[in-house]
Amino acid sequence: MIDLDHVTRQFDGKRRVVALDDVSLSIPRGEMVSIIGPSGSGKSTLLNLVGGLDRPTSGQVRVAGQALAGLPDDELTRVRRDSIGFIFQFFNLLPTLSCLENVGLPLHLRGWPRAKVRERATELLELVQLTDRLQHLPEELSGGERQRVAIARALSIYPPILLADEPTGNLDTQTGADILALISDLHARLGSTVVIVTHDMKVAGSCQRTIALRDGRVVEDIRRSRTAPPGKVVGG
Amino acid sequence: MQLLVLISWPYFRKHILRTLLTVAGIVLGVAVFVGMHTANQSVLFAFNRTVDRIAGKTELQVTAGETGFDEEVLERVQSAESVRVAVPMIEAVVDSQIPGEGSLLILGVDMTGDRSLREYDLESGDEAVIDDPLVFLAQPDSIILTSEFAGKNHFTVNSQVPLGTAFGVRRFTVRGIMKSSGLSSAFGGNLAIMDIYAAQKMFGRGRTFDRIDIAVTPGRTIAEAREELRALLGPGFQVDPPSGRGQQFEAMTAAYSMMVSISSLFALFIGMFIIYNAFAIAVTQRRAEIGILRALGATRGQIRRLFLVESAVTGLVGSIGGLAFGLIIARGIAASIGDLINDVYGVAQRADEIATSPMLLGLALVIGIITSIVAAFIPARQAARVDPVQALQKGKYQVLSAGENRVRAALAGIFAVVSVACLMASSSRVVFYIGFALAIAVALLLAPLLSLALSRAIRPLLKWLRPVEGALAADSLIQTPRRTSASVAALMLSLAVVVAFGGMAGASYSSIIDWMNTALNPDLFVIPSQDLTIRTLRFPAEMAQELAALPGVGRVQRVRNARIMFRGTPIMVVATEIASLSETVRRPPIEGDADAMYRLTAAGQGVMVSENLAQLQTLKLGETLEIPAPEGVVRLPIVGILVDYSDQQGTVLIDRTVFERYWRDDSVNAFRVYLAAGADVPEVKRRILERYAGERQVFVLTNTELKAYILRITDQWFALTSVQIAVAVLVAILGIVNTLTVSITDRRREIGVLKAVGALGGQIRRTIWMEALSVATLGLVLGFALGAVNLYYILQIVQHDIAGMRLDYIFPVSVTLALIPTMLASSFIAAIWPAESAVRGSLVEALEYE
Repeated sequence: MIDLDHVTRQFDGKRRVVALDDVSLSIPRGEMVSIIGPSGSGKSTLLNLVGGLDRPTSGQVRVAGQALAGLPDDELTRVRRDSIGFIFQFFNLLPTLSCLENVGLPLHLRGWPRAKVRERATELLELVQLTDRLQHLPEELSGGERQRVAIARALSIYPPILLADEPTGNLDTQTGADILALISDLHARLGSTVVIVTHDMKVAGSCQRTIALRDGRVVEDIRRSRTAPPGKVVGG
Repeated sequence: MQLLVLISWPYFRKHILRTLLTVAGIVLGVAVFVGMHTANQSVLFAFNRTVDRIAGKTELQVTAGETGFDEEVLERVQSAESVRVAVPMIEAVVDSQIPGEGSLLILGVDMTGDRSLREYDLESGDEAVIDDPLVFLAQPDSIILTSEFAGKNHFTVNSQVPLGTAFGVRRFTVRGIMKSSGLSSAFGGNLAIMDIYAAQKMFGRGRTFDRIDIAVTPGRTIAEAREELRALLGPGFQVDPPSGRGQQFEAMTAAYSMMVSISSLFALFIGMFIIYNAFAIAVTQRRAEIGILRALGATRGQIRRLFLVESAVTGLVGSIGGLAFGLIIARGIAASIGDLINDVYGVAQRADEIATSPMLLGLALVIGIITSIVAAFIPARQAARVDPVQALQKGKYQVLSAGENRVRAALAGIFAVVSVACLMASSSRVVFYIGFALAIAVALLLAPLLSLALSRAIRPLLKWLRPVEGALAADSLIQTPRRTSASVAALMLSLAVVVAFGGMAGASYSSIIDWMNTALNPDLFVIPSQDLTIRTLRFPAEMAQELAALPGVGRVQRVRNARIMFRGTPIMVVATEIASLSETVRRPPIEGDADAMYRLTAAGQGVMVSENLAQLQTLKLGETLEIPAPEGVVRLPIVGILVDYSDQQGTVLIDRTVFERYWRDDSVNAFRVYLAAGADVPEVKRRILERYAGERQVFVLTNTELKAYILRITDQWFALTSVQIAVAVLVAILGIVNTLTVSITDRRREIGVLKAVGALGGQIRRTIWMEALSVATLGLVLGFALGAVNLYYILQIVQHDIAGMRLDYIFPVSVTLALIPTMLASSFIAAIWPAESAVRGSLVEALEYE
């Protein structure tokens, strides 16, 4: 589903920084993978490249069989909006839009009819247990609720790939566990490929596979036959 | 100063575009101020220089307005003890008949006496012509040219020069060429000397002179000579030093100067608002930085000073740029003002050089800096009040608190009541202007509240148009009322001025057209010059009979119009055959009885005055008007007040017999010709032209042509409105670019998220475009509303302080309809670059941005 072939990403400033150094890896369809490593190890860079938010300096990134290098901006955006859902550490909800509008945002951008957008967004907010918050603005929600809205938004197109950058990093332990349970549950139900960047070993342990990065290189790639229990599943 | 280097300079460098936009605000204001005033001064300077150079050693001049006077006045003047030399002169501006050369100023002088006042320094070999004036006099086709004019057009002694005269184009022989000197450079060098008696004949002046130039007897003061001559000649003559003509010129063009001043002040005010806008945005942008500075020990005073010094530096840089740009545009404006003054006032002059006044430039520099500091004062105070703890609470400071809203609304309410009271309670002009200023203040106070309310109101519409882009564009405006309202208010102000001037222009056009349709109803107008306002060429009275005898001509009315001095102001006297006029033109008076006013004026028992004269000179119906004339003071009651656009300073309409008696002048400026029933207009026009072909210079305008001519002059007058629209467009672009640049910085993460969840480049662009169009829409709505109020005040100012004309309140629908696409297109253009920068910004950086 996701293939990186000798991918390097370097940043040229006053000092050249190699964020990813000749990384090759493959993530099959439906796998739930965590990426761990210390700060500056290249985790987020890897996620950005997979998500088409950034472009490699060299090497090739393929998502769902499509090579991203060389795609024009709008084509890259189309790959993103058709195949990838994002969950951010700081939620990145638009503060002026209600929960319903935030979740419906990617669908509106795809030109869906209003009624269909509303129907799908409501359905997803039900899925993340926020039926009673449809018209609330993000600032009226708790951190956990905001992240659930962000997850619902990421799932709005039922993407084959879900990318999460420290999804529990900005939440307290219990809420973090709940969110992780929700992601695991959705993964199980929807069968999406999930890539989670995290510092948290508990989160990493709940995934089928963990890739460890250090100084821009893959230093460990662990596959588990059984995953650790993710905690209470919201609405489970 | 250290803070300026440490804090401000890096900020300016980082936000180079925004800094340039801020400076552009002041450049714009100062440039328009300097450009307009320099141009105006240059025109006045050129006029004065021409007067001065022609005057030579002249100490006093005797004139009777522009009507001229009988030759015998010269003897009376020469008989005065305090007069050493008195020489007559005729001035005529004629068509040079040379493509690209325009007009030529002809001085008709008496060579026998004139050289004691003026130096005619001829190029070698020509001196004999002047040494023996009889040679010059004996050949009435003689002419002396300046070396500038001769050189440009390759004329030498004995060349033949064609000139437009009362008898058509006549060829004159060059008898001498003046060396470059003071006199020869008058009127931009387009000057020629002719014998005065030849000039009288050539320009149809009869036995009259335009003026007498005087040198005072040694031992007598100018003041003594002036008193003696005034007593000798009576009130119908003006006895002034040559500089007095400059003052008359200024008085005549006062209305135009007032318009120029209003326009330039408006540009400065708009510039101030752009600065305010930029600094208000900068303060909100740099809140965190200010918070850190405060936390590190900077006092409120230091923060305030930092922003004020920044604004002073901005003002200085912008003013210097404005001075340079202003001087560049001054040349173009001067040419345009020169043409306008020529066409509207009939005073030909050439502003070939730009008269830069150090005083004006210094004033503009100071005004630019002060404007900048004043504009930044409120943002600087807000910066000083920043709470270090709250400084990092992103977004909160953009919101208008309920308390602030209440204070604004309450103040606006109080100001509105006082403003209305000012209008109703007193007729004092000062109180009126205070009321006007308060009305503007009300609009400025309410602008943020109304912007917010309107942004909320249009959100559903925008969302309906584009669910994501529309909603986000509206939300951006709603979330940042300070940023939004600053741009909206700048736009509102500039549009309000455009609407008001557009309304004034519209009302003027409507009134002028109404006047033309009733007063100017002859089928043909026979005139001696292509230019209606040039009155230096005139017809003899007998031509009326000749015209009347032509087949197809039914009625001929003789019109003599001339500018005279009345209470120190140049006004227009129009003398015609009122009895005949009353049979062809029945115009309802504003005051007076229509039948009686025509009857009494025709009988020489009264005068009619224009509404603007009555207003500007506070004249009442029935009041006896005293008009000084060469043959005594005309004392006649005002029997009617009517609308008339013959002159901006006002018109007195009298019967021709009165004019002939008091001015001893029966010449004619124009014939109003009515055709006999069934006659064909082009055919009669052809007959008139054929009748005078080769004999006399005659131009025949049809009714349609005359009206088109007047409308063309009116267009020139209102060309200022186009300048204001251009300024409004610039304001829109500057303000919107500024707002959007900041908006995009503020919304970097939001735009990043949009892109991350699938927004295409086109969708991001549309969001920014919609925001820009929304700002323009808010500005248009508020600008039209304030413009409606502004128009009322401007019409009052026009009536009471500028032109004395009562214009109907007509909201300029066509101007507003034209402004809508103009401003929307401008805002769209302004949004192109910011939108592209939003699309091209790094997604990863945007998502990490906080």
